[in-house]
Amino acid sequence: MGTDIGDLLLKHTVEIAELSNKVVAIDAYNTLYQFLSIIRQRDGTPLKDSSGQVTSHLSGILYRFTNLIESGVKPVFVFDGKPPEFKSGTLEKRHEIREAASAKWEDAKAQGFEEEAYKYAQASSKVTKDIIEDSTKLLELMGIPYVKAPSEGEAQAAYMVRKGDADLIGSQDYDSLLFGAPSVVRNLTITGKRKLPRKNLYVDVKPEIISLEESLEGLGVTRSQLIDIAMCIGTDYNPGLENIGPKRALKFVKEHGSIEGVLSETGKEIEELDAKKEFFMNPPITDDYELKWKKPDRAGIIDFLCKEHDFSEDRVNKALDRLEASMGGGQSTLDQWF
Amino acid sequence: MFKATIDAYLLKDSIETLSVLVDEARFRISPEGIAVRAVDPANVAMVSFDLATDAFEDFSGDDCELGLDLSRVTDILAVADRDDKVHMELDEDAKKLMIQIGGFSYTLSLLDPSTIRAEPRIPQLELPAEIVLNGKDLQKAVKAAEKISDHMLLGVEGENFFMEAEGDTDRVKLTMSRDQLIDIKANDTRSLFSLDYLSDIIKPASKSNEVTLHLGKDFPIKINFSIANGAGTIGYLLAPRIESD
Repeated sequence: MGTDIGDLLLKHTVEIAELSNKVVAIDAYNTLYQFLSIIRQRDGTPLKDSSGQVTSHLSGILYRFTNLIESGVKPVFVFDGKPPEFKSGTLEKRHEIREAASAKWEDAKAQGFEEEAYKYAQASSKVTKDIIEDSTKLLELMGIPYVKAPSEGEAQAAYMVRKGDADLIGSQDYDSLLFGAPSVVRNLTITGKRKLPRKNLYVDVKPEIISLEESLEGLGVTRSQLIDIAMCIGTDYNPGLENIGPKRALKFVKEHGSIEGVLSETGKEIEELDAKKEFFMNPPITDDYELKWKKPDRAGIIDFLCKEHDFSEDRVNKALDRLEASMGGGQSTLDQWF
Repeated sequence: MFKATIDAYLLKDSIETLSVLVDEARFRISPEGIAVRAVDPANVAMVSFDLATDAFEDFSGDDCELGLDLSRVTDILAVADRDDKVHMELDEDAKKLMIQIGGFSYTLSLLDPSTIRAEPRIPQLELPAEIVLNGKDLQKAVKAAEKISDHMLLGVEGENFFMEAEGDTDRVKLTMSRDQLIDIKANDTRSLFSLDYLSDIIKPASKSNEVTLHLGKDFPIKINFSIANGAGTIGYLLAPRIESD
């Protein structure tokens, strides 16, 4: 998912405390997908309530975002709206991959191959309409604001950071940089000791920040050229040119000035190139949002999570104690006095 | 170039004023002495530290910047007796600080200053109230407050300075009148502060018998005191907690 320009970018590891009092525009789709894919049992079965509904995303939002809020982060979720038409190819392909993975998961589970099963189960994760509805309901109850983007969530989030309403974008993907996000923070919801996928190894995961300006400076390219590089490698809107990885894409775009130069040199084509580039440079966005963090609605959350979705009341209450404590008292920072 | 000799206890106290907020710091060396400006990772508190050459037995330094891991320095100083002399000398080529204390010779690797958070800007604040008191009194009040709450109100009412904490069930208040204080410029005001920060900052301040506080209404507090008979000045700035409705 997203574009594969990560290897080219400069990343800085930071402590979670450094994000205290920062407003982080969370790429909602990306984060929910992550929760669905990693919050699972050993054989790959996601968390479910007694009626069989998946609850991995709800668990992720409650517990992992309580942790973040406790460290002082102020999250705002940004959901996708209507995808641009040229994304349909990617969306169809994702659908096929999920279907295939889902079949393989059943097979592997039936044969008792736990690791295989887990891998395919992860690949079959899908952010459905119900999952989005449940998620927005829980966010409202927790007092966390969310925004619905007219089109791509990452584009809206990038706009909110440029406008100064948010400080950073929280996403595992790099696409928001193409949309002009000044900075992106990765690993927000997986900070701490984490098991490496399909390995019996644990690593200490820390948030890492990527600054657009610094990365562009380091590569010696403009944002428009970074979009060109991404399109050479492949984005959600185009499959990418054959045999071109990040390093060659960078070299080609710098040599030829732009993707148009690369295409005419190699005799290749990208469908609707201009429209796609324009979409990255000037995507649909909205000013219709309000960022307000409220006190969590304890009774509402207990009703929703414990009564409807069979969460343990004891654990939920403990998380809510922490959430209330951190949403209530406002430690200010020195930046406010300049 | 940097070469200096200083009393071990003075260096210990100096490092402590910084290590309550940060793990690593940039030490700016100049012919006038050493200066550090550092802010904690959450941007809640900062420290301005200046140690003039008078604080040293001998001192010579050109303009340069040293990056130090404060816990490493604290570890090294742990072997020193109070009255030991600490001799420091910079090995610029090897990027190391040579330290001699009571017969021990240490070689301490320096950190690349550019990897340490840059010096913060310092906000210019107009704070209406000024209180001068013994650091011990401040520490007593903070200790009492810690028992019942995680935050504490500092303020001025009439001619009195007060420190007050309220927990879920209990409450404690210490009021000090003009004659219990060293000095007060009284103007009614109050701000709430996190005890997490306050108790750390008060630790080094409590050793001083003259601590100056500058207070405003829901404003950061300035906490100033000196060390080394006035050759060293320490100033903290701590952002308040804003009481929510």
